[in-house]
Amino acid sequence: MSNKQPLSFTVNGDVAETLISGGETLLTVLRDHLHLTGTKRGCNQGVCGACTVIVDGKPVRSCLSMAALSEGSEVATVEGLSENNVPSNIQQAFADNGAVQCGFCTAGVLVTVTAFLAENADPTTEDVRHALSGNLCRCSGYKKIIDAVMAAVMTQAAEASA
Amino acid sequence: MSVSTKVSQPDNIAAALNTLSTDDEALCLSGGATLVAMLNANLVDPSTLVSLKNIPELSGLKQNSDGSIEIGAMSRHAMSAASELLVGSNRGIRDAASKIANPTVRNMGTMGGSISFSDPGADYPPALVAADAEIEILSASGSRRVAASDFFVDWYETALKPGEIVRAIHLPAADPDAIGFHEKFARVEGDFATVSVNVVLALDELNCRMIRIAIGACGPTPVRDIDVEATLIGNPLDEATLIAAGEQLARACDPMDDMRGSAEYRLNLVPQLVARAALRARDLLKLGVAS
Repeated sequence: MSNKQPLSFTVNGDVAETLISGGETLLTVLRDHLHLTGTKRGCNQGVCGACTVIVDGKPVRSCLSMAALSEGSEVATVEGLSENNVPSNIQQAFADNGAVQCGFCTAGVLVTVTAFLAENADPTTEDVRHALSGNLCRCSGYKKIIDAVMAAVMTQAAEASA
Repeated sequence: MSVSTKVSQPDNIAAALNTLSTDDEALCLSGGATLVAMLNANLVDPSTLVSLKNIPELSGLKQNSDGSIEIGAMSRHAMSAASELLVGSNRGIRDAASKIANPTVRNMGTMGGSISFSDPGADYPPALVAADAEIEILSASGSRRVAASDFFVDWYETALKPGEIVRAIHLPAADPDAIGFHEKFARVEGDFATVSVNVVLALDELNCRMIRIAIGACGPTPVRDIDVEATLIGNPLDEATLIAAGEQLARACDPMDDMRGSAEYRLNLVPQLVARAALRARDLLKLGVAS
Protein backbone atom coordinates (compact mmCIF):
# COMPACT_ATOMS: atom_id res chain seq x y z
CA MET A 1 0.00 0.00 0.00
CA SER A 2 1.84 3.02 -1.28
CA ASN A 3 -0.36 5.44 0.67
CA LYS A 4 0.72 4.14 4.06
CA GLN A 5 3.16 6.14 6.09
CA PRO A 6 5.17 5.17 9.15
CA LEU A 7 4.17 6.53 12.56
CA SER A 8 6.32 6.33 15.67
CA PHE A 9 5.29 7.57 19.09
CA THR A 10 5.36 6.53 22.74
CA VAL A 11 2.39 4.83 24.35
CA ASN A 12 2.42 4.29 28.11
CA GLY A 13 6.20 4.51 28.08
CA ASP A 14 6.82 2.08 25.21
CA VAL A 15 7.72 3.02 21.65
CA ALA A 16 4.96 2.12 19.20
CA GLU A 17 5.55 1.93 15.46
CA THR A 18 2.95 1.27 12.81
CA LEU A 19 1.95 2.12 9.25
CA ILE A 20 -1.05 4.43 8.92
CA SER A 21 -3.23 5.99 6.25
CA GLY A 22 -3.20 9.78 6.28
CA GLY A 23 -6.84 10.00 7.29
CA GLU A 24 -6.63 7.82 10.38
CA THR A 25 -7.24 9.16 13.86
CA LEU A 26 -5.21 8.43 16.96
CA LEU A 27 -8.20 6.49 18.29
CA THR A 28 -8.10 4.09 15.33
CA VAL A 29 -4.37 3.59 15.72
CA LEU A 30 -4.67 2.88 19.45
CA ARG A 31 -7.55 0.45 19.10
CA ASP A 32 -7.11 -1.20 15.71
CA HIS A 33 -3.34 -1.11 15.22
CA LEU A 34 -2.04 -1.40 18.79
CA HIS A 35 -5.05 -3.29 20.21
CA LEU A 36 -5.26 -0.95 23.18
CA THR A 37 -9.03 -1.30 23.34
CA GLY A 38 -9.44 0.25 26.78
CA THR A 39 -9.90 3.57 24.98
CA LYS A 40 -13.46 3.56 23.68
CA ARG A 41 -15.07 4.88 20.52
CA GLY A 42 -18.34 6.44 21.61
CA CYS A 43 -19.68 9.27 19.49
CA ASN A 44 -16.58 9.71 17.28
CA GLN A 45 -17.50 13.42 17.33
CA GLY A 46 -15.60 14.67 20.35
CA VAL A 47 -18.70 15.03 22.49
CA CYS A 48 -18.84 11.98 24.77
CA GLY A 49 -15.29 11.84 26.17
CA ALA A 50 -14.98 8.03 26.09
CA CYS A 51 -11.90 8.24 23.83
CA THR A 52 -9.97 10.70 26.03
CA VAL A 53 -6.22 10.03 26.25
CA ILE A 54 -3.32 12.13 27.49
CA VAL A 55 -1.00 13.49 24.79
CA ASP A 56 2.15 15.26 25.96
CA GLY A 57 0.60 15.83 29.36
CA LYS A 58 -2.78 17.17 28.24
CA PRO A 59 -6.07 15.33 27.90
CA VAL A 60 -7.32 15.25 24.31
CA ARG A 61 -10.01 13.51 22.31
CA SER A 62 -8.23 10.74 20.41
CA CYS A 63 -11.17 10.58 17.95
CA LEU A 64 -10.49 14.21 16.95
CA SER A 65 -6.70 13.81 16.75
CA MET A 66 -5.18 12.93 13.39
CA ALA A 67 -2.73 10.09 13.97
CA ALA A 68 -0.15 11.61 11.64
CA LEU A 69 0.17 14.58 13.98
CA SER A 70 1.03 12.27 16.91
CA GLU A 71 4.51 11.52 15.51
CA GLY A 72 6.97 11.73 18.40
CA SER A 73 4.26 12.37 21.01
CA GLU A 74 3.98 10.77 24.41
CA VAL A 75 0.54 9.22 24.76
CA ALA A 76 -0.94 7.76 27.94
CA THR A 77 -4.07 5.60 27.83
CA VAL A 78 -6.13 3.89 30.52
CA GLU A 79 -3.90 0.81 30.14
CA GLY A 80 -1.00 2.88 31.47
CA LEU A 81 -2.64 4.12 34.66
CA SER A 82 -1.82 1.08 36.81
CA GLU A 83 1.73 0.11 37.74
CA ASN A 84 2.70 -3.58 37.81
CA ASN A 85 -0.99 -4.49 37.88
CA VAL A 86 -1.55 -2.33 40.97
CA PRO A 87 -4.40 0.07 40.27
CA SER A 88 -3.75 3.78 40.70
CA ASN A 89 -5.38 5.58 43.64
CA ILE A 90 -8.03 6.85 41.25
CA GLN A 91 -8.76 3.40 39.82
CA GLN A 92 -8.94 1.92 43.32
CA ALA A 93 -11.32 4.67 44.45
CA PHE A 94 -13.59 3.95 41.46
CA ALA A 95 -13.71 0.26 42.44
CA ASP A 96 -14.27 1.03 46.13
CA ASN A 97 -17.07 3.52 45.42
CA GLY A 98 -18.93 1.50 42.79
CA ALA A 99 -18.27 4.29 40.30
CA VAL A 100 -18.48 1.89 37.35
CA GLN A 101 -21.79 0.76 35.94
CA CYS A 102 -21.66 -0.43 32.33
CA GLY A 103 -18.06 0.75 32.18
CA PHE A 104 -18.11 2.28 28.72
CA CYS A 105 -17.31 5.82 29.87
CA THR A 106 -14.91 4.68 32.59
CA ALA A 107 -11.65 4.73 30.64
CA GLY A 108 -12.24 8.29 29.45
CA VAL A 109 -13.30 9.38 32.92
CA LEU A 110 -10.24 7.82 34.58
CA VAL A 111 -7.89 9.42 32.07
CA THR A 112 -9.56 12.83 32.40
CA VAL A 113 -9.44 12.65 36.20
CA THR A 114 -5.79 11.53 36.16
CA ALA A 115 -4.81 14.54 34.06
CA PHE A 116 -6.98 16.87 36.15
CA LEU A 117 -5.67 15.76 39.56
CA ALA A 118 -2.08 16.00 38.32
CA GLU A 119 -2.64 19.74 38.05
CA ASN A 120 -5.21 20.25 40.83
CA ALA A 121 -4.27 18.44 44.01
CA ASP A 122 -7.02 19.96 46.16
CA PRO A 123 -10.15 20.45 44.04
CA THR A 124 -13.66 21.15 45.28
CA THR A 125 -16.56 18.97 44.19
CA GLU A 126 -17.57 21.81 41.88
CA ASP A 127 -14.10 21.82 40.27
CA VAL A 128 -14.39 18.07 39.66
CA ARG A 129 -17.81 18.48 38.08
CA HIS A 130 -16.41 21.09 35.68
CA ALA A 131 -13.40 18.90 34.90
CA LEU A 132 -15.70 16.01 34.03
CA SER A 133 -18.28 18.09 32.17
CA GLY A 134 -17.03 16.64 28.89
CA ASN A 135 -17.38 12.99 29.93
CA LEU A 136 -20.85 11.58 29.46
CA CYS A 137 -22.04 8.61 31.53
CA ARG A 138 -25.27 7.33 30.01
CA CYS A 139 -25.89 5.15 33.06
CA SER A 140 -26.02 8.58 34.74
CA GLY A 141 -23.78 7.34 37.52
CA TYR A 142 -22.26 10.75 38.12
CA LYS A 143 -22.79 10.84 41.89
CA LYS A 144 -20.58 7.83 42.51
CA ILE A 145 -18.01 9.05 39.99
CA ILE A 146 -17.69 12.36 41.84
CA ASP A 147 -17.59 10.52 45.20
CA ALA A 148 -14.79 8.32 43.89
CA VAL A 149 -12.76 11.28 42.65
CA MET A 150 -13.10 13.04 46.01
CA ALA A 151 -12.05 9.82 47.77
CA ALA A 152 -8.98 9.62 45.51
CA VAL A 153 -8.17 13.24 46.39
CA MET A 154 -8.26 12.30 50.10
CA THR A 155 -6.00 9.28 49.52
CA GLN A 156 -3.53 11.37 47.54
CA ALA A 157 -3.50 14.08 50.20
CA ALA A 158 -2.91 11.48 52.92
CA GLU A 159 -0.05 9.96 50.94
CA ALA A 160 1.45 13.36 50.24
CA SER A 161 1.48 14.28 53.94
CA ALA A 162 2.66 10.83 55.12
CA MET B 1 -13.01 9.13 5.44
CA SER B 2 -11.03 8.39 2.39
CA VAL B 3 -7.93 6.25 2.80
CA SER B 4 -6.19 8.49 0.27
CA THR B 5 -6.34 11.62 2.44
CA LYS B 6 -2.84 12.95 3.03
CA VAL B 7 -1.70 15.06 5.95
CA SER B 8 0.87 17.74 5.27
CA GLN B 9 2.60 19.57 8.09
CA PRO B 10 4.19 22.72 6.69
CA ASP B 11 6.32 24.82 9.05
CA ASN B 12 5.62 28.13 7.32
CA ILE B 13 2.55 29.97 6.07
CA ALA B 14 3.77 30.28 2.47
CA ALA B 15 3.96 26.51 2.09
CA ALA B 16 0.50 26.05 3.62
CA LEU B 17 -1.03 28.71 1.34
CA ASN B 18 0.68 27.22 -1.67
CA THR B 19 -0.95 23.83 -1.09
CA LEU B 20 -4.32 25.43 -0.39
CA SER B 21 -4.16 27.57 -3.54
CA THR B 22 -3.07 24.77 -5.88
CA ASP B 23 -5.27 21.93 -4.60
CA ASP B 24 -9.04 22.62 -4.59
CA GLU B 25 -9.66 19.53 -2.50
CA ALA B 26 -7.25 20.48 0.30
CA LEU B 27 -8.54 21.74 3.64
CA CYS B 28 -6.59 23.33 6.43
CA LEU B 29 -6.66 21.61 9.80
CA SER B 30 -6.28 23.58 13.01
CA GLY B 31 -7.34 21.97 16.29
CA GLY B 32 -9.52 19.29 14.73
CA ALA B 33 -12.43 19.85 17.09
CA THR B 34 -14.79 20.47 14.18
CA LEU B 35 -13.06 19.25 11.02
CA VAL B 36 -12.05 15.81 12.29
CA ALA B 37 -15.57 15.30 13.62
CA MET B 38 -16.80 16.07 10.09
CA LEU B 39 -14.25 13.65 8.61
CA ASN B 40 -15.45 10.95 11.01
CA ALA B 41 -19.02 11.58 9.89
CA ASN B 42 -17.96 11.38 6.20
CA LEU B 43 -19.22 14.91 5.59
CA VAL B 44 -15.96 16.03 3.94
CA ASP B 45 -13.38 14.10 1.94
CA PRO B 46 -10.31 16.27 1.46
CA SER B 47 -7.35 15.23 -0.69
CA THR B 48 -4.98 16.81 1.80
CA LEU B 49 -5.25 18.08 5.34
CA VAL B 50 -2.86 20.98 5.71
CA SER B 51 -2.04 21.02 9.41
CA LEU B 52 -1.36 24.53 10.72
CA LYS B 53 0.06 23.20 14.00
CA ASN B 54 3.74 23.78 13.19
CA ILE B 55 3.44 27.36 11.94
CA PRO B 56 4.71 29.69 14.67
CA GLU B 57 3.16 32.90 13.26
CA LEU B 58 -0.31 31.48 13.81
CA SER B 59 -0.01 30.82 17.53
CA GLY B 60 -0.27 32.87 20.67
CA LEU B 61 -1.75 36.11 21.94
CA LYS B 62 0.26 39.31 22.06
CA GLN B 63 -0.19 42.99 22.79
CA ASN B 64 1.15 45.53 20.29
CA SER B 65 2.80 48.79 21.36
CA ASP B 66 -0.44 50.72 20.68
CA GLY B 67 -2.28 48.43 23.08
CA SER B 68 -4.13 46.50 20.39
CA ILE B 69 -4.28 42.74 20.80
CA GLU B 70 -3.45 40.07 18.26
CA ILE B 71 -4.74 36.54 18.73
CA GLY B 72 -3.09 33.98 16.45
CA ALA B 73 -5.61 31.80 14.62
CA MET B 74 -4.16 28.64 16.21
CA SER B 75 -4.57 29.89 19.77
CA ARG B 76 -6.43 27.22 21.72
CA HIS B 77 -9.61 28.10 23.60
CA ALA B 78 -7.84 27.21 26.88
CA MET B 79 -5.14 29.77 26.09
CA SER B 80 -7.65 32.53 25.35
CA ALA B 81 -9.73 31.58 28.41
CA ALA B 82 -6.68 32.11 30.63
CA SER B 83 -5.15 35.13 28.88
CA GLU B 84 -4.40 38.17 31.02
CA LEU B 85 -4.33 40.25 27.85
CA LEU B 86 -8.09 39.88 27.37
CA VAL B 87 -9.28 42.41 29.91
CA GLY B 88 -11.65 45.39 30.10
CA SER B 89 -13.65 45.78 26.92
CA ASN B 90 -11.90 42.67 25.50
CA ARG B 91 -12.76 40.46 28.48
CA GLY B 92 -15.90 39.13 26.77
CA ILE B 93 -13.74 37.05 24.44
CA ARG B 94 -11.94 35.41 27.35
CA ASP B 95 -15.32 34.78 28.95
CA ALA B 96 -16.68 33.24 25.72
CA ALA B 97 -13.59 31.01 25.34
CA SER B 98 -14.02 29.70 28.89
CA LYS B 99 -17.62 28.66 28.12
CA ILE B 100 -16.84 26.58 25.01
CA ALA B 101 -17.33 22.82 25.30
CA ASN B 102 -15.24 21.32 28.13
CA PRO B 103 -11.64 21.46 29.39
CA THR B 104 -10.42 18.71 27.06
CA VAL B 105 -11.86 20.22 23.91
CA ARG B 106 -10.62 23.66 25.00
CA ASN B 107 -7.09 22.19 24.85
CA MET B 108 -7.71 21.29 21.20
CA GLY B 109 -10.01 23.77 19.47
CA THR B 110 -8.72 27.07 18.11
CA MET B 111 -10.22 30.50 17.57
CA GLY B 112 -9.32 30.52 13.87
CA GLY B 113 -10.83 27.09 13.34
CA SER B 114 -14.00 27.94 15.21
CA ILE B 115 -14.74 31.17 13.36
CA SER B 116 -13.82 29.66 9.99
CA PHE B 117 -16.49 27.01 10.51
CA SER B 118 -18.84 29.72 11.73
CA ASP B 119 -21.40 27.64 13.54
CA PRO B 120 -24.12 30.15 14.48
CA GLY B 121 -24.34 28.54 17.93
CA ALA B 122 -20.63 29.02 18.60
CA ASP B 123 -19.46 31.47 21.25
CA TYR B 124 -16.81 33.50 19.44
CA PRO B 125 -18.96 35.10 16.69
CA PRO B 126 -21.02 37.33 19.04
CA ALA B 127 -17.96 37.94 21.24
CA LEU B 128 -15.85 39.14 18.31
CA VAL B 129 -18.65 41.31 16.93
CA ALA B 130 -19.23 42.91 20.36
CA ALA B 131 -15.47 43.49 20.75
CA ASP B 132 -15.24 45.24 17.35
CA ALA B 133 -12.65 42.69 16.28
CA GLU B 134 -11.07 42.48 12.85
CA ILE B 135 -10.13 39.23 11.14
CA GLU B 136 -6.83 39.11 9.28
CA ILE B 137 -7.08 36.85 6.24
CA LEU B 138 -4.15 35.52 4.21
CA SER B 139 -3.94 33.94 0.79
CA ALA B 140 -1.14 33.22 -1.64
CA SER B 141 -1.86 36.62 -3.21
CA GLY B 142 -1.78 38.77 -0.07
CA SER B 143 -3.59 39.72 3.08
CA ARG B 144 -6.71 41.66 3.97
CA ARG B 145 -8.64 42.60 7.08
CA VAL B 146 -12.38 42.23 7.54
CA ALA B 147 -14.51 43.52 10.41
CA ALA B 148 -15.96 40.65 12.43
CA SER B 149 -19.44 41.92 11.58
CA ASP B 150 -18.63 41.42 7.87
CA PHE B 151 -16.70 38.15 8.35
CA PHE B 152 -19.78 36.17 9.33
CA VAL B 153 -21.84 36.12 6.14
CA ASP B 154 -24.54 33.45 6.39
CA TRP B 155 -25.28 30.05 7.93
CA TYR B 156 -21.85 28.37 8.12
CA GLU B 157 -20.54 30.86 5.60
CA THR B 158 -17.76 33.40 6.12
CA ALA B 159 -15.92 35.98 4.05
CA LEU B 160 -13.14 33.42 3.48
CA LYS B 161 -12.63 32.54 -0.18
CA PRO B 162 -11.04 29.33 -1.45
CA GLY B 163 -7.33 29.33 -0.69
CA GLU B 164 -7.64 31.82 2.18
CA ILE B 165 -6.96 31.22 5.86
CA VAL B 166 -7.45 33.25 9.01
CA ARG B 167 -4.04 34.38 10.30
CA ALA B 168 -5.12 36.32 13.36
CA ILE B 169 -7.92 38.08 15.17
CA HIS B 170 -7.16 41.73 16.01
CA LEU B 171 -8.77 43.59 18.88
CA PRO B 172 -8.66 47.31 19.59
CA ALA B 173 -6.76 48.39 22.69
CA ALA B 174 -8.91 47.55 25.68
CA ASP B 175 -10.93 50.24 27.39
CA PRO B 176 -9.87 49.41 30.96
CA ASP B 177 -13.01 51.00 32.41
CA ALA B 178 -15.31 48.81 30.35
CA ILE B 179 -16.10 45.13 30.74
CA GLY B 180 -17.04 42.36 28.35
CA PHE B 181 -19.33 39.57 29.51
CA HIS B 182 -20.60 36.45 27.74
CA GLU B 183 -23.98 35.13 28.83
CA LYS B 184 -24.59 31.66 27.45
CA PHE B 185 -27.80 29.69 27.69
CA ALA B 186 -27.30 26.03 26.74
CA ARG B 187 -29.08 22.75 27.43
CA VAL B 188 -26.08 21.44 29.34
CA GLU B 189 -22.70 22.91 30.19
CA GLY B 190 -20.48 22.86 27.13
CA ASP B 191 -23.17 22.48 24.49
CA PHE B 192 -23.50 24.99 21.67
CA ALA B 193 -25.61 27.92 22.80
CA THR B 194 -29.38 27.93 22.47
CA VAL B 195 -28.91 31.70 22.69
CA SER B 196 -25.84 33.65 23.75
CA VAL B 197 -25.49 37.36 24.45
CA ASN B 198 -22.14 39.11 24.52
CA VAL B 199 -22.14 42.55 26.10
CA VAL B 200 -19.41 45.17 26.32
CA LEU B 201 -20.36 47.85 28.83
CA ALA B 202 -18.95 51.01 30.40
CA LEU B 203 -20.66 53.17 33.01
CA ASP B 204 -20.56 56.87 33.82
CA GLU B 205 -21.50 56.86 37.48
CA LEU B 206 -24.66 54.76 37.32
CA ASN B 207 -25.57 55.56 33.74
CA CYS B 208 -24.57 53.68 30.64
CA ARG B 209 -21.61 55.38 28.91
CA MET B 210 -21.08 52.76 26.19
CA ILE B 211 -22.72 49.47 25.36
CA ARG B 212 -22.36 46.95 22.56
CA ILE B 213 -24.64 43.92 22.46
CA ALA B 214 -24.25 40.98 20.07
CA ILE B 215 -26.61 38.01 20.08
CA GLY B 216 -25.51 34.54 19.00
CA ALA B 217 -27.48 31.48 17.82
CA CYS B 218 -30.46 33.60 16.74
CA GLY B 219 -29.92 33.68 13.02
CA PRO B 220 -27.19 32.99 10.49
CA THR B 221 -24.81 35.60 11.94
CA PRO B 222 -24.48 37.55 15.19
CA VAL B 223 -27.19 40.17 15.63
CA ARG B 224 -26.26 43.72 16.64
CA ASP B 225 -28.36 46.88 16.40
CA ILE B 226 -26.58 50.16 17.11
CA ASP B 227 -29.86 52.07 17.21
CA VAL B 228 -31.00 49.96 20.15
CA GLU B 229 -27.65 50.46 21.84
CA ALA B 230 -27.97 54.25 21.33
CA THR B 231 -31.24 54.30 23.28
CA LEU B 232 -29.41 52.97 26.34
CA ILE B 233 -26.55 55.50 26.35
CA GLY B 234 -26.85 58.05 29.16
CA ASN B 235 -29.57 56.09 30.91
CA PRO B 236 -29.53 53.96 34.04
CA LEU B 237 -29.53 50.24 33.28
CA ASP B 238 -32.49 48.83 35.13
CA GLU B 239 -34.10 45.52 34.26
CA ALA B 240 -37.20 46.99 32.61
CA THR B 241 -35.13 49.21 30.31
CA LEU B 242 -32.91 46.30 29.33
CA ILE B 243 -35.81 43.94 28.67
CA ALA B 244 -37.37 46.57 26.43
CA ALA B 245 -34.07 46.88 24.55
CA GLY B 246 -33.87 43.08 24.35
CA GLU B 247 -37.35 42.96 22.84
CA GLN B 248 -36.20 45.42 20.18
CA LEU B 249 -33.17 43.24 19.50
CA ALA B 250 -35.32 40.12 19.27
CA ARG B 251 -37.13 41.77 16.34
CA ALA B 252 -33.81 41.82 14.46
CA CYS B 253 -33.22 38.10 15.15
CA ASP B 254 -34.10 35.35 12.71
CA PRO B 255 -33.58 32.04 14.51
CA MET B 256 -34.46 28.57 13.25
CA ASP B 257 -36.08 25.66 15.04
CA ASP B 258 -33.56 22.99 15.96
CA MET B 259 -32.92 20.42 18.66
CA ARG B 260 -31.60 23.14 20.99
CA GLY B 261 -34.86 25.07 20.93
CA SER B 262 -37.62 26.39 18.72
CA ALA B 263 -37.31 29.78 17.08
CA GLU B 264 -40.13 31.06 19.30
CA TYR B 265 -38.40 29.83 22.45
CA ARG B 266 -35.18 31.54 21.40
CA LEU B 267 -36.96 34.84 20.73
CA ASN B 268 -38.43 34.65 24.22
CA LEU B 269 -34.98 34.08 25.70
CA VAL B 270 -33.38 37.09 24.01
CA PRO B 271 -34.78 39.91 26.20
CA GLN B 272 -34.17 37.92 29.40
CA LEU B 273 -30.59 37.12 28.46
CA VAL B 274 -29.84 40.67 27.28
CA ALA B 275 -30.98 41.95 30.67
CA ARG B 276 -29.08 39.26 32.56
CA ALA B 277 -25.87 39.86 30.58
CA ALA B 278 -25.94 43.64 31.00
CA LEU B 279 -26.84 43.48 34.70
CA ARG B 280 -24.07 40.97 35.40
CA ALA B 281 -21.61 43.13 33.46
CA ARG B 282 -22.76 46.15 35.49
CA ASP B 283 -22.34 44.25 38.76
CA LEU B 284 -18.86 43.08 37.77
CA LEU B 285 -17.90 46.66 36.92
CA LYS B 286 -19.10 47.82 40.33
CA LEU B 287 -17.04 45.06 41.94
CA GLY B 288 -14.04 46.32 39.99
CA VAL B 289 -13.33 43.08 38.17
CA ALA B 290 -13.00 44.59 34.70
CA SER B 291 -9.48 43.21 34.60
